[in-house]
Amino acid sequence: MDKKYKDLVIIGSGPAGLAAAVYGKRAMLDEVVLEREMIGGGQIVTTERVDNYLGLYGIGGYELAEKFKEHADALQVPFLETGAETITDCGAYKEIKLENGDTIEAKAVLLATGATHKKLGAKGEEAFAGAGVSYCATCDGAFFAGKTVAVAGGGDVALEDALYLSGVCEKIYLVHRRDEFRAAKTLQEKVKNTTNIEFLPFYEIREIGGTETVEYIVLQNNQSREERKLEVSGVFIAIGMEPQSEILKGIAEMDERGYVKATEDCRTSAKGIYVAGDVRTKSLRQIITAVSDGANAVASIEQDR
Amino acid sequence: MAKRVSGEEFQTEVLSAALPVLVEFYSDSCIPCKQLSPILGGIEDDYEDKIKVVKVNVNFDADLAAEYKVMASPTILFFKEGKEVERIRGLVKRPELENVVKNFI
Repeated sequence: MDKKYKDLVIIGSGPAGLAAAVYGKRAMLDEVVLEREMIGGGQIVTTERVDNYLGLYGIGGYELAEKFKEHADALQVPFLETGAETITDCGAYKEIKLENGDTIEAKAVLLATGATHKKLGAKGEEAFAGAGVSYCATCDGAFFAGKTVAVAGGGDVALEDALYLSGVCEKIYLVHRRDEFRAAKTLQEKVKNTTNIEFLPFYEIREIGGTETVEYIVLQNNQSREERKLEVSGVFIAIGMEPQSEILKGIAEMDERGYVKATEDCRTSAKGIYVAGDVRTKSLRQIITAVSDGANAVASIEQDR
Repeated sequence: MAKRVSGEEFQTEVLSAALPVLVEFYSDSCIPCKQLSPILGGIEDDYEDKIKVVKVNVNFDADLAAEYKVMASPTILFFKEGKEVERIRGLVKRPELENVVKNFI
């Protein structure tokens, strides 16, 4: 077993983690970035198009992730292709056990693990995963060419998915538990003007069913309690995200949804442990705010040294 | 670079192939498929004489995907002597993929 000592261990290589890595290099910190996926980049990797990152209008999510990685590589940021299993707070230093069996001791740990797709919790959701239930419209839309599908959700991703699928599928039911969307107004406008998207407000998916693959969904109206069954070949789930904060349970304070409590300075309730990006409590989870967190976290780490 | 095979070529290129065949079902707009590409390329180079690597574009060959009940991209199917022997759904890391490959060569 190999033991290493670092000033800073950054867990996650999305925009927050990589921005922190760049600022860490500039602060001449002896640092390492842990990335569990072989190609990091976080959620933006699977975003088809990014329209709101300043200066790079319309860039593909994958391309933007590559640019972030190139930037870190140009500064010779070291990466380890492994995840963190546990963090032990030993006071002046933290011990990070890695999935590859190694251990790193670090003065500071920055958790930038982001968030992942939330599950609906509907009956049949797991049984039909990959058999009509999908969390990636751009990956799996082609399997539903000319068919009828449902999209669940009301945020940017749900509306983007519905719009993408409107060009591939015969009809899309957009199922949302409220009558208004969180999504950007421009997306709402586009959805309204797309004739093969039917909006079903106040409905929640209770069941996903079929024989070998998805054939129907059962919806329930959360106002009138009325149930209805719709014939669909696929269900795309985009109901939001949940934080990847498990590793800090019992170490740092979290809110009731599992986001690690921190303000703009990215300090957690545990000294020497910092959080950046979607995993922390904040009101706006975007690439630009994640990048900002990365910079602020390193500023705090430097101040606290 | 793995060859893209169409529905018409599937019999000769995959089912009647002398070597075991790894078939990746992918779609044009699928980013995990792009991420998988260099990994498949590596397997293709390192196991050149032992396994054949081909791709099926589901945007063009939806019937083939339907025939093999593939409904997620990427999905990797392994064929030996014309029969499907294993499948992996979703993005996979090189070591995991390599373990499966070693089972069939």
